[in-house]
Order: sequence, then C-alpha cells, then structure tokens
Amino acid sequence: MISLAGRDIMHAWGKFVFTGMGLGLLIGITLSMAGIYRGMVDDGKALLDNSGADLWVVQKDTLGPYAEPSSIFDDAWRGILGMPGVARAANVTYLTMQVRQGERDVRTLVTGVTPGGPGTPGWPPYLVAGRQITRGHYEAVADIATGFALGDRLQIRRNHYIVVGLTRRMVSSGGDPMVFIPLKDAQEAQFLKDNDAIRQQRRRTAANPAFNRPQVPDLLNAVIASQSTNAYVNAVLVQIEAGHDANEVAESIRRWKRLTVYTRSQMEEILIGKLIATSARQIFMFLVILSIVSAAIVAFIIYTLTLGKIREIAVLKLIGTKNRTIVSLIMQQSIALGLIGFVVGKITATLVMAPIFPKYVLLEPLDSLIGFGAVVVICILASIIAIRAALRVDPAEAIGG
Amino acid sequence: MADKGIRIEGLKKRYGKGDTAVDALKGVDMQVASGEVVGLIGPSGSGKSTLLKCLGAVIEPTAGRMILGDEVIYDGGWKVKDLRALRRDKIGFIFQAPYLIPFLDVTDNVALLPMLAGVPNREARKQALELFKALDVENRAKAMPSQLSGGEQQRVAIARGLVNRPPVILADEPTAPLDSERALAVIRILNEMARQFETAIIVVTHDEKIIPTFKRIYHIRDGVTYEEAGQGRDF
Amino acid sequence: MKRLPIQKRTLAMFAVIIPLFVLFVYVALRSGPLAPVSVTLATVETYDITPTLFGIGTVEARYTYKIGPTFAGRVNHVNVNVGDSVKAGQELGGMDPVDIDERIRAQDAALKRAKAQLDEARARLYFAQTQAQRYEKLFALRATSEELAATRRQELQVAEAGLNAAREEVARIRSEQEALIAQRDNLRLISPVDGLVVARDADPGTTIVAGQAVVELIDPESLWVNVHFDQIHARGLAADLPAQIVLRSQKGETGAAGHVLWIEPLADAVTEETLAKVVFDQLPEPLPPIGELAEVNVDLPALPPGPVLPNAAIQRIKSKLSSKLGVWQVKNGELQFTPVSLGTSDLDGRIQVREGLKAGDQVVVYSAKALNTHTRIRVVEHLPGVKQ
Repeated sequence: MISLAGRDIMHAWGKFVFTGMGLGLLIGITLSMAGIYRGMVDDGKALLDNSGADLWVVQKDTLGPYAEPSSIFDDAWRGILGMPGVARAANVTYLTMQVRQGERDVRTLVTGVTPGGPGTPGWPPYLVAGRQITRGHYEAVADIATGFALGDRLQIRRNHYIVVGLTRRMVSSGGDPMVFIPLKDAQEAQFLKDNDAIRQQRRRTAANPAFNRPQVPDLLNAVIASQSTNAYVNAVLVQIEAGHDANEVAESIRRWKRLTVYTRSQMEEILIGKLIATSARQIFMFLVILSIVSAAIVAFIIYTLTLGKIREIAVLKLIGTKNRTIVSLIMQQSIALGLIGFVVGKITATLVMAPIFPKYVLLEPLDSLIGFGAVVVICILASIIAIRAALRVDPAEAIGG
Repeated sequence: MADKGIRIEGLKKRYGKGDTAVDALKGVDMQVASGEVVGLIGPSGSGKSTLLKCLGAVIEPTAGRMILGDEVIYDGGWKVKDLRALRRDKIGFIFQAPYLIPFLDVTDNVALLPMLAGVPNREARKQALELFKALDVENRAKAMPSQLSGGEQQRVAIARGLVNRPPVILADEPTAPLDSERALAVIRILNEMARQFETAIIVVTHDEKIIPTFKRIYHIRDGVTYEEAGQGRDF
Repeated sequence: MKRLPIQKRTLAMFAVIIPLFVLFVYVALRSGPLAPVSVTLATVETYDITPTLFGIGTVEARYTYKIGPTFAGRVNHVNVNVGDSVKAGQELGGMDPVDIDERIRAQDAALKRAKAQLDEARARLYFAQTQAQRYEKLFALRATSEELAATRRQELQVAEAGLNAAREEVARIRSEQEALIAQRDNLRLISPVDGLVVARDADPGTTIVAGQAVVELIDPESLWVNVHFDQIHARGLAADLPAQIVLRSQKGETGAAGHVLWIEPLADAVTEETLAKVVFDQLPEPLPPIGELAEVNVDLPALPPGPVLPNAAIQRIKSKLSSKLGVWQVKNGELQFTPVSLGTSDLDGRIQVREGLKAGDQVVVYSAKALNTHTRIRVVEHLPGVKQ
C-alpha cells in the first residue's frame, strides 16, 4: 500500500511547504512567548546567581532588596560576619536608574559592590571584556546589553565613571542590564541628594535657630555634616561556610541580629512567585490564545485542503477505499503540516525572533519538546472537522447525473 | 456464460416517503453476459443514474434482485456485508470524466485498487502495467494524470476499471468529452476488453455516435427498461 | 517494473526540506542552552607589577588662622575681603571700642590731678624741711622749745609720706591708662602671618562672642590633599611615596605630581578608610579651591617579577564542600578548575599569582556564560557581540 497522504503532499509540496511556513511563523511567535516567560524567570535566577550569595540579609520585615526597598546600616555586615557558619559577608546596594552616556541614557540597575576583588559576593562572576574594578571609586563594569563600550564615560548622579569591563546576562528581575560600581559611590548615588537639594537643606538647617547658635559656632557645620552621611546599604550578601546549612545560619542571623534573612529558595519564591507573577500570567494567556489561533488556522487549512479533494475522496470511496485510509490521509497531512510549521517555527524563534526581542528570550529544549507535542495534538484535533467532512462525502457523487 | 455477468430482476427504487415519494425505478429487468457490451440509453430523469448507482452498490434499491456472477448481492436487501469490498473487487467504474487521483502517477492510479485489496505494491503495479500494454499507454506509465491527453486519461480510467478483473463494469458516459473518432476508439477498447477479460460492460450513454455500435440496447424511460436489438455496427 | 526512485519533483522537494531540517538540527543543538559557550584564553605572564593605591580626597589648607577678638563685642570695621592677600602685621579689622577712649581721657585728667597733688606734696615737704631746719638751728641756740622743734620734725615726716603717696598715685594712674591703651590696641585684628583671606564671617555692626572668627586666613603655601583610602586597598601606603593628584576640574588629565606627607595614625572607623595627607611637589597655578575633590594614585615600589594574570579570569567556585578562588583552564578540550592563591594587584587589573599557576599557563579569561566542569566550550579570539 502506498501512502496517499505522502503522495498528495509531494504532489503539491510547494503549496504545502509555504502554508507550513506561514503556520511556522505563528508557531515561532508561540515558542517565543514561552521563551519570554522562561527568560523572565531566568532573569530572576540570573540576578540571584550573579550575586553569588547564599543568604540575603535585609531590613527587618521587608521583602528586599529586589522586591521591596530595604536599607540597613552599612556596618551591619561586621556583626553578621561574626556569626558561626558565615564565610563572607558583603554590603550591596541596588538602584534602578537612568545612566547617562554622552547624549543617551540607558535604564540600568546600578549595583554597588564592596571593594575586595573578584569573587567577593555581589561582583560580576565573569566578564566578556576588560577587567574587574580595581579602584575604589569611579570605575564601572557594565552589562553588554547596555550598549556601553570599554572606555566610555558614564554619568551616574554627580559623578563620572569609566567603563573598565563588560559582562553578560547580568540583569535585574525586570530585565534591566546591570552596571557595577564601587559601593561608596553607589551609596552616594542612592542616598545623596542632588546639589540643589543639598543647598536647600543647608539653608533650611541654617535658618533653624536650634542648629545655628551664635554661642556655638561649629554646631551648624556639625549638623550639616551629620545630615549628609549615608551609612546605609540595601542588603548584605552572605556566603556560608562549606558544610553549614543555609537555613540554620539564616535562623541564627534572624534570631540574634533581628534582621530578615532570605535563603536562595525563598528569594526565588519572592522573585518568581511575587515579582513577575502578573507578567507571567499575561504571557500564559498569550500562549493560550496563540495556541487556539494556531489550532483554528490548522483546522481551516486542512479543511480547505480536504474540500478541494472532495471528488477524489468520492472516487476513492467508490473504488472501495476504507474510511480508515481516508482518515489517515487527512490526519497525516495535518500532522505533516504541523511538523513543517514546528521546524520553521523553531528556526524563526531561535534565529529571528529571540535576537530582536528587547527582553531575554530563553528557548528551553524541554519547552520545544512540549511545544512539539502540543503541535501534534493540536493538528490531530484540528483535522477532526475535515475528517468529518470527508467521511460525509457520498461515493455516489462520483457517478454523474 | 449466462450465469456470469449481471442479472437484475424487478429492481425498484423509491425516493422519499408518503405523499412526496418518487418512484425512480419501477421494476427494471436487465441481463448482461460476460464479454458483452450493452448500451443503457434514456433521457434525463428517466432513472438512468439511479439504476447505475444501484448497480454500483452506492445506494440501496427498494425491492428486486441483483445477481452478480453467481452471487446474489441484493434480494430485497443487501446480501453482501462489505459493500466497499464488493465495489472494489466485483464492480469496475468508468466515469464521464476520468477522475484520476491527481496526486498519484498513472501506474499508482490503477495499482491503487489491487493495493487496497491487499495486493503487494510490486504485484499491483505489475498488474497495472499489463493493462497499460493492452490499452497501449505503457509509455505513459510514470506520467502524472495532468500530463496526459483526454484519450489517454480515459484509457487509464478504463484500466482502473479493469484492474481487479470485475465481472461487471459500469461505464457512465465514457465518451462524452471525446470526439467521434476517439469515442469509437473507446468503444472498440471496451469491446476488446469485455472479450479479453470476460466481463460484462454496461455503457450508459446518450452519445449518438456510439449508439449504433451496440448489439443490444436497454432503453430506460420513467423507471422501466425496454430491451431492443442494436445495430451492432462495426467500428 | 521498478519505478525510478527519484524524480525531479522529489529532488526539488528534498532541496527545500533537507536544508530546513539541517538548519533545524543546527538550531536545536547550537543555540540556546545546548550551545557551546565561547571563551577566550589568556596566558599567565611574568611581570613586575607596580601596585598603585587609589584614593579620593579634598584639597585642604594645612594652616588655617581664625582671627577674632578675645572678648565679646561689636565689630567696628573689617578692612579685607575674601581673596585678599595680607601681610604679617596688617590690620584686618577692628572691634568697636565702646568707652575705652573716654576712660583713657578720664585717666589722663586723673593723672594730671595726681601730678598736681604730687607738686603740692613736694611743696609741703619743702616748707616742712625749711621749717624743720630753722627750728633745729633755733633749738640748738635754745631759742625755741624742744616741743616746737619736735613738732616741726613730725611735720617734715608727714610731708615726706604725703609726697610718696602722691608719687605712687601718679604711677598707679599712669599704669591704668596704659592698660586701657593696651586694651584699645587689642580691638584691632592683626594678621599673624602672610596669608590669603578665605572667609569673612562677620561684618561691621555684628556682635560676636569671644573666640568667634571674624576673618579666616590660610597659608596658601601649605595646601595639601586629605585623601581617604579604603582600608582594603591601603596595604603598603607609607610616607614619601610618589603620588599623582588629579583634581576634579582637571579630570582626564595626567594630574600633578606630589608625594605622601604622612599617614594619619587615626583611621576613620565609620567609613572604614585610612586617611593620608598628600602634598603637591609644586603648587598648581592658579591655586585649586579649598574643598575641591581630587583623585590620588599612589605608586608603590615595583614588586619583583612574578606570574600575573588578568583579574577578569578569577572566579569563585562553590561546591558543597568548599568555596575557592581560582581560574578555569582548558585541558584536553575540557574545562578544569585550578584553585589559586593571589597576591597584590595593580590598577590595570593585573593580579599576582602566588600559587597554582606558573608563567606560560593558559587560562580562560572571558566567557559568554558562567562556566562549570560540564560546560561545552569553544575557544575563540574575541567573544561575539563585544565591540573591539
């Protein structure tokens, strides 16, 4: 027995492949949607991975530092470092802001990292160009997605920074690329006001008779100095000693330092379960809608193809073809269409769509497999209408009159 | 020879029910022996198509008997379970247009029938090629139907009708799209094939060009057949 | 009766389907998580590293003079303005003397009166002396009584005492007058040094307390930079090391040469910084404003040559059992993590290797992704997407 479906496809393979390509673009968008969702999750995980931390110590009763603002004193790390099981503790600040470079500005997550050299928690774990920060001030390592190049001068608040290194896939949970600068500068950028605000604050303080007393001439300066200190950071990143249990160390910090501590799994829960939950649901809705649209399109195409073959089907029936043969003819064509569509879709999603999307698109092989299964199932379901139409064809139609 | 071929006795067909019922066939008697080619002639609405569909086991008659070869296939009800297999194995069809499957090449168009009956592909194609030799289209065996001329297509269609060696072939206006020369050629082939493969051929037609060639003709009018001797003219 | 296996149509179809399929396989294996990670390699070199310390400071004056009155009063006049250069001894301003002049004049009158009293006492003494001598002679001749002569002697002694008292009164009043004059001089604000006026904190009419400054002077020759070095980067900082000072206004230029004057023995415990004073070898012209931000690079003595590698190559690998600093090396096409012990680094990102590597070893320096031992890699010259 020969494959009727195969022969039919080969007979009109051009039409078939083009139809499949059209379907493929749609499947490509669907795969990209799944990729965008995975990308969002991966952004969150990348942020956690890049920090190099096992524990995040944040302001009491906040979900900081990523999901909520948090600020703790910048000397809290000393006490934390003394806790049993803590190998390294480092201050870190995060601030999402526009970073200027020449005429343009880029939305970035400015991260202040403790001085100390590569391997310190919070530092970019790997680079694609340049070097790590060596000076304690005014140097920056930027994610390549910012578009900055080595040697560029950036302006963050009042200071200029030289880009000395580039890294990759260092993003905030929202997908904004990160710029790493020394902690002291970052603290200034985050907590220091702009010049106007500083001047106004000085004037306001000077106008307050409580602070500006003639009998105590230096009091005003002392007060102003105390106002412009910025002894806060957003979190302390903690690496625990090998062999210690993260939960135990976290519990002892919670208990004795009265700060909120999150472990890696809790942090993931916060980022993925809370921060991107709405976006994820939105993407999921798009996925469902696109799947329905794809199914409708496959059904329509197969139905049209079948209607075009009504007379052949009548002849086949008249000469004694079994219904099973006709069903498999249509279903095989539908699945073949789906396969071409999937192949084209996978190619376009990877080579065309993933690079042009502004957000990270992560195409997981497992998602592709699931997508493949879904395409096959959808094609089988979509062919049902066409099969019903084909089975209703009366072999008598082949006999004229 | 009389017990081969096809015999129909008092075949009736009624469409619809009650007041709106129409009697398309009112008692048809026909007998065609193996190797014989008969004409079935009648105006539109005479019941010609209905008779053909009943013979082709596509619609069910209301009453009467149909005997195909030595098998009673209908006697007030179908006596055969698998009508599909019956159509495939026992009845050959030749249509007004060739109705070849466009996505199969000529050989497979014909070989499809034995294949459907379970004959291995190679064997089925061999059978098709034998017929092509007889019908003189063997040089087009690998062409697609769309590459053939009308006459070649019709010959392939005839091959398809013959390939399973059915005891009866129903030909529905097989010469309608052809000019008189080709039409006569088709009739000549049908006659040759009827003899060669010992099959009964019923040709439904109103083609004036070929009517004189039949030795026997059934006229059908208002659901009743009348047998008459044809001219049996040579072609 | 065999059919020709391949027809033209079939060929054309395969011409489309096969590249599509090949592309698909390529896409499935060569992109996304299954794709190999591009890495670049660097060689460990022998290099004599010159470590440099980097600090931020502000320009300050070493000597600041706050000139003000020694007691509360009202400012009478201020002769100088901010930016004026002044000489030692120059009067910068004065306080309101209030009644000092009047009191001096009163003392003047009192002095005259005291002098008159002195004259009177002197006259009395003279008369008393004459009388006493006459009565002595008369008494010698017994021309008078002894009682009268004794009376005259006593009158002479009284007159002598009166003269002494009057003389001391004059001295007292004169001293008091001098004290008032000295006080009046003290109201003048005199520059103790040659210097530059940097602040004028009070204007005439202002009442100020004792010790509050009216004018602030600095010695422009004594400008220095008060530099903060992060303690983590301050190893090796010492006096007399050469330094480059880049002022914020000259950002991007090479900066002025200077040297470390001393390291403050007190570090800043809150900011975790070590303080040092860095002086200019030659003062920049014009003088930088006090309080201007300056970046300071301090060059430490070059270290003996040793293996160095780029700091971008250093990674921390965490496993269940340990957490180590090290580098990735490619051995037989597979990644292998080599723990290293690190020494000093310089500001250009070179870092000395104490243990773990030797010169000539190849290490992974840049990678497009985080690496682990199972990562499939592809060694390239430049990472794709990085602008050269």
